Amino acid sequence: MGRIGLAFKLFFGVLFNSNTALQMQTALLPAPAAKEPEKKTAAKPQPPAAPAGLDALVLLATLQREARFLDLFQEDLESFDDAQIGAAVRDVQRDTKKVLARLFAIEALRTEEEGANIELPESIKPHEIRLTGNVGNDTPASGKLAHHGWKATKCEIPKFQGNLETAKVIAPAEIEIV
Amino acid sequence: MSANYVVGIDLGTTNNVLSYVALNFEDAEVQLLEIPQLTAPATIESQTSLPSFTYLGTPGEAEQGSLDVAWETGRDYAVGQWARTRSAEAPDRTVGGAKSWLSHHKVDRQQAILPFNVGDDLPKISPVEASRRYLNHLVEAWNQAFPDSPLIDQKVVLTVPASFDASARELTREAALSAGLPENLTLLEEPQAAVYAWLSHQGDNWRKALKLNDKLLVCDVGGGTTDMSLISVAEENGELILERMAVGNHLLVGGDNMDLAIAFEVSNLFKEKGTNLDPWQSVSLWHSCRAAKESLLAEDGPDEHSISVLGRGSKLIGGTVTVQVQRERIRNLLLEGFFPECQATDHPQRNMASGFQELGLPYEADPAVTRHLAEFLQSHSSEENQPLQVTHILFNGGVFKSNSFQDRLINVLGSWNPDSSPVMLDGDHDLDYAVARGAAYYGLSKHQGGMRIRGGTAQAYYVGIETAGLAIPGAPRPLNLLNVVPIGMEEGTETNVPSQEVGLVVGEKAHFRFFASPSRNEDKPGTLLASWNESEVVETDSLEMVLDTDESIEEAYVPVTFQSKITELGMFELWCVSPKTGGRWKLEFNIRDDD
Repeated sequence: MGRIGLAFKLFFGVLFNSNTALQMQTALLPAPAAKEPEKKTAAKPQPPAAPAGLDALVLLATLQREARFLDLFQEDLESFDDAQIGAAVRDVQRDTKKVLARLFAIEALRTEEEGANIELPESIKPHEIRLTGNVGNDTPASGKLAHHGWKATKCEIPKFQGNLETAKVIAPAEIEIV
Repeated sequence: MSANYVVGIDLGTTNNVLSYVALNFEDAEVQLLEIPQLTAPATIESQTSLPSFTYLGTPGEAEQGSLDVAWETGRDYAVGQWARTRSAEAPDRTVGGAKSWLSHHKVDRQQAILPFNVGDDLPKISPVEASRRYLNHLVEAWNQAFPDSPLIDQKVVLTVPASFDASARELTREAALSAGLPENLTLLEEPQAAVYAWLSHQGDNWRKALKLNDKLLVCDVGGGTTDMSLISVAEENGELILERMAVGNHLLVGGDNMDLAIAFEVSNLFKEKGTNLDPWQSVSLWHSCRAAKESLLAEDGPDEHSISVLGRGSKLIGGTVTVQVQRERIRNLLLEGFFPECQATDHPQRNMASGFQELGLPYEADPAVTRHLAEFLQSHSSEENQPLQVTHILFNGGVFKSNSFQDRLINVLGSWNPDSSPVMLDGDHDLDYAVARGAAYYGLSKHQGGMRIRGGTAQAYYVGIETAGLAIPGAPRPLNLLNVVPIGMEEGTETNVPSQEVGLVVGEKAHFRFFASPSRNEDKPGTLLASWNESEVVETDSLEMVLDTDESIEEAYVPVTFQSKITELGMFELWCVSPKTGGRWKLEFNIRDDD
């Protein structure tokens, strides 16, 4: 007879006690599906996750090694005229572009000509389109493309086998043995 | 385990590429393997080509693990991109161009001789070992990407220059097997592989692009070498078929020579400005010249191009020196130096100082590809002083990214036969990857019984036989050459060479001089040459064998004749057979000790 007693107890409990009602409501929710037993695969041990920031250092090292990126941006431009800077930048730009193409395959996000009027969808993704100028509450039907945006079509930073401390050496000192 | 893939490997002089295609899938596409490799110490990046360079590290580098790859720790060398970078920074510790050494008969290619001419306190490896390392890197990279289909169980096609002779092929195979490639590895000639790549895009349409008796020239100018082949269109049972007619000599001239030539010219401009470049800057200049080459050669490029060498230290801008280079000057330098207009009857200049001479490898004295081409086409023409008429061209190799070179070559060929200029084959000329892709496609079509280019051996082979006769004091006995393999001997066939018997002394090493010719089409097995032209017959590695003392042999010497064989996999074998005892002994290339 215990179940009939319990049923009455719960019936009145739910009726007069909000706490009990809440508990019951929760108890009546569909139970989550039982987790499938984890597959025991002979997967290779995953390498430990790279420490935060390692990729950024490896990218800087790659740009310096292949394009003299840091040498250019760390230099004080005060004492040089534009032609002199231009000559050096041409080479650094050429090689930087090559690295970026290889690692990120960067493309324009919008294919339309800059300056053209382009139609906008009703709801825009804020990470893809940033409205500037007269921005109201509603998205307008069209606008002028001021910048086509950029996107990486891949992201393949070289894998670094050292640790964060060694990665902080972006470029080693070079010593010539004569 | 049965194979799941056909794998094509282009073991190049400057770059290695691996392509693959799944078996048993309809319309499976040929793909390129991304090859993980060191691009800096402890830094791994995957790229579709593996530069053919080995950097021999210091003990410290090995200990620190800075040359480690996923499959080996404590490694004391690096191959690929980082090794190429180091070849400029520490040339005495880097090996490049090992493949060119494989076909160089003047040195022992099993000996640790590379890098060539450096001090004995520095590490060295053999040309075969260098090739083994590149191939082994590809094997490990593949096994990592396809752990369920190890490369040793796949169908593998490895490409070699068409001009590689039997001993260079043997050495390539030896390096491949010790690198972990399967025993049933097939060797394919590079220019043929480029044609297969073209065929793979055309499908059956090629029968419309080419007609009976057309002659296709495959011109492959890579980083360090130039290779030419002629393919003719024949008919069999009413169907068009392709036959490889002839292959040219292996020429040690390529895109690197062109970059060097520009760098040399531009460094003179720096000198005029009073700037003497140090070795490090010269390498950096070479790099800049390579990058500028295409725009300097473009028909509609700017008239002037500035070339800079960046400052060596961290003071980049202050140390940068720049010169203005006239486009016309560089265009002329390259076109007239490497693809000059010439007569159909011209020959390469044999003793021309080219400025590219380096001790060791026999670099071409004349870098003019067109003159080599003229000689090649004359030697395969049936008419005196009239080159063979080429109807179509297929280009291969990164050098032809410059249209100017393509146009010049077509024009020169056209000037030799004014009534019918050759045309470039339609369709995709994938200059960097066609050889690897074509190799995989060939493997697939071989497996499925598809289209194959006929050809057989590209060269005829001869054994040197000393003539009997009165000995003249101080003079060597005259030598006759006995043909043992004719040009075009098909794979999977063997032939008994009709000849007089040769006596082998029991218990002693028998030594035969060995010769090859890519152009003597008429010679048949048994043909005996008493005199020959050195431009058409060259001596290669000798052959030898030891006839062990055997109870069944009662004589002091055994008379034998020769039997030659080309295996299904394209390998050459020469046997001595004794009609009397029925014994058979295989001759081996004497590659170790050639002097």
